[in-house]
Parts: sequence; structure tokens; C-alpha cells
Amino acid sequence: MRSRLLAMVVVLASTAAADAQNTPKKQPTIINPPPTAQDYADLAKLPDWSGVWNPKITDQDRQARDNPPPWNEKVAKEVEKMWAEEKAGRPKLIFYGCFPEAHPSWMLVTHNAMEILFTPGRVTMLGESDGNRLRRIYTDGRLHPETPDPSFHGHSIGRWEGDTLVVDTVDILPQAPLAISEAVGVPNDGDMHVTERIYLAEKDILHVELEITAPNILTKPWKTTRIFFRQRARKFDIIEGVCQLGDYREAKDENGHHVFVPIEKTEWGNLVAPK
Amino acid sequence: MTNHFKPIGVLAVAGTVAVGIASVSAHHSTTMFDHSTTMMINGEVVELRWVNPHVSLSVNGVVKERAEDGPAVWVMEMTSPGNLVRAGGWRRDAVKAGEKVEVLFSPLRDAERKGGALKKLTVLATGEVFTANIREQERPGLE
Repeated sequence: MRSRLLAMVVVLASTAAADAQNTPKKQPTIINPPPTAQDYADLAKLPDWSGVWNPKITDQDRQARDNPPPWNEKVAKEVEKMWAEEKAGRPKLIFYGCFPEAHPSWMLVTHNAMEILFTPGRVTMLGESDGNRLRRIYTDGRLHPETPDPSFHGHSIGRWEGDTLVVDTVDILPQAPLAISEAVGVPNDGDMHVTERIYLAEKDILHVELEITAPNILTKPWKTTRIFFRQRARKFDIIEGVCQLGDYREAKDENGHHVFVPIEKTEWGNLVAPK
Repeated sequence: MTNHFKPIGVLAVAGTVAVGIASVSAHHSTTMFDHSTTMMINGEVVELRWVNPHVSLSVNGVVKERAEDGPAVWVMEMTSPGNLVRAGGWRRDAVKAGEKVEVLFSPLRDAERKGGALKKLTVLATGEVFTANIREQERPGLE
């Protein structure tokens, strides 16, 4: 009996080993292949977007009045109330918690600088401040993922049409606001889709043409163009800007280590003067 | 291309969630300041906090328009360090604790609070002037 069992085990084990040898091994999916010298050479053919780009805030101000999104009826009432509160000196904290402004609101209402990096297969946008702002736009031909992984800036894929970068973005967190000022905007509530055409309108002027589809808050797609200008000669580089530092101050703990401790703020986010 | 985003599980929270009051970390609008009013404080710098998203300057002094209050510490808010560098020529050591300054500012609408939005800082010992209008950086030729 014991020898028969042993024989069965041996047969099963050898069959399994044979199957393993005959089954083709699944190859890992390479999504970031090592760039070639040609990939790097091709970057030189792209337009020059180097330097520090700042938003044209006066144009943001103008569009907040002259080019409002086609809010649906419910949201329009909320927005009307926000404008009234803003005017009354009780601005709503759209960007609470130091979360990123997110896409597309970063492009729409930021007050801070950004830089744009070209590397093989990718365009990267880096924000100067306001909570870890970063956009990766894949230009390597990949599609959006089958399984959504929502994020503040969504999943962006792009392609070059001449000197224009055409970007398609999905999978943005439903909590990400669609904002037209720092105090007026509502969460997109899901299913938002953003397309962009980004190009140099002049030597030091970058245009970002956006078309935003947000079916849960808008009645139809909204088009807007946002303007960034380049500070080429300024002796100033983009810097790290950690939003939450504004809520802390430097201190020493009981062991003498340098630490940050929370400070008091008002309900509007203002600092409180010492008594 | 179509959007294939689908909510992948939303926690049903009973009632409406009040957002933002307890957690005030934010870069915010500035309409809590009365921009139609300008006040002036003369005093000594307590601290320049060179941090995002809003640099702040604390000054211990007397506000001319509220002289009856006597000396007190007022906190002035501004835009981010990067924007102050670009728009107002600021730097981290633009002003130091103990220096005598004059500050023009728009006060908080809530008169109970000693805060304001800084419009112009003059360092009295050197005469250096720093402003904080974020839109100034759009001026052509500004370097």
C-alpha cells in the first residue's frame, strides 16, 4: 500500500514538472522600456517649453466672469451662493486640506508657477506649490488603463500633432473640484473627461485649450483657454512649496529634535494673531 | 476617446458632510480681507514666516487707524514665496525680527481679529520697499 502511494506521488510530481516545462512562461508586461539614443534625440525636435511658466491670473479673473462653465441647474444655484459668500467676505474653502487643486482646476485657477519636462515617452508637469502637484502625460502610445485607478490628476495620454500636445485625461477623483476661482467651484462628482491642446501661441506664451466634460455638474462640454507666460531671464528657479507648512511652525520636541507643531487658524484659513 | 471612469465604491455617509471647517489647511481666497480699506501699522517685526501657501509677517506695533487699541501683534498674510519673489522682489531674509517697519495692509473684515493682507512693507532702516500684488508679475519686462 505504501509503495503504491509513493508511486502515485512520483507520477503526479513528474507530470506537473512536464506541464511546467511545456506551458509557455507568461512574459511580464513592459510599460516603461529603456529609452534608446534615438528616443532622446527625438526630444530635440519638440518645441521649447523649458523655463518657469506662470498663469495669467488677470485672464482667470476675466473668465470667471465672462466664460462661466455651463453648470446644471442645481449646481448653478450653489455657485450663485458661493459668489455671494465670496462677495460678503466668507469665501468657501474649495481647496481644503491642502489637497492638490487637481486636474483640470490646476490649469484653470492656479496662482503659482509650473515647469514642463520632456523625457522619452512622457511629458511631466510640475507645480511649484499647493500640495504635491504633478501631472504625467504618457506619449508612448499606451491607452488608458482597463481598470480605473482614480487620482487627483487622472490618467493622461498624449500625442504630438506638430508642435501641439493633444492630451486626453480620465479617471479623475470625483472629489476633485471644477473651480473657476479659489472660492467658487464644486466637486466634479465623477465621469469627468478632459481634452487639451497645449501649444506656444507666442515665443513666451503657452496656451492650454481645454474641453471639459463633466456630466454630473455641467449641461454640456465647456471650452476655455488658459494662458501661461514664461519668465525666461529671471534669476529664480521653481522651488518646493509644501502647502501644509502653513499650518505648522518650527519647534523642538522634548528630546531637542527639530519638529513641526500645529498652529491655530481661523475657519477661513487665516492665521491667528497672538493674544 | 470616452471616459471609462466608474465609481468603484463610494462609502455611503449618512447626511451631509461638513467639509473644511475643522481642517483649515488650504490656500484660500482673500475676500475675508476688506480690500477697500487700507490701514498702517508701525512697529517691530516679530517674525517673517517664509512658507507656502501664504507667507506671513507678524508685527508688534500700533495701527494708526486703531491707535486706541495700543500696541499689539498683528499678522499680515501674503501670497506664496515664489510669487513674492517674482512679483514683489522679496527674499527669505527681506526683513528680520526686531527691525522697525511700516506696513500698509487691508484688515480682516472681522475687526476682532488682528490680521490683514499686506500691501506694502517699508523697512525703515534701509528704506527698502516690498509689495505683494500677485498680478504685478504679469507686467511686461518685469525682471
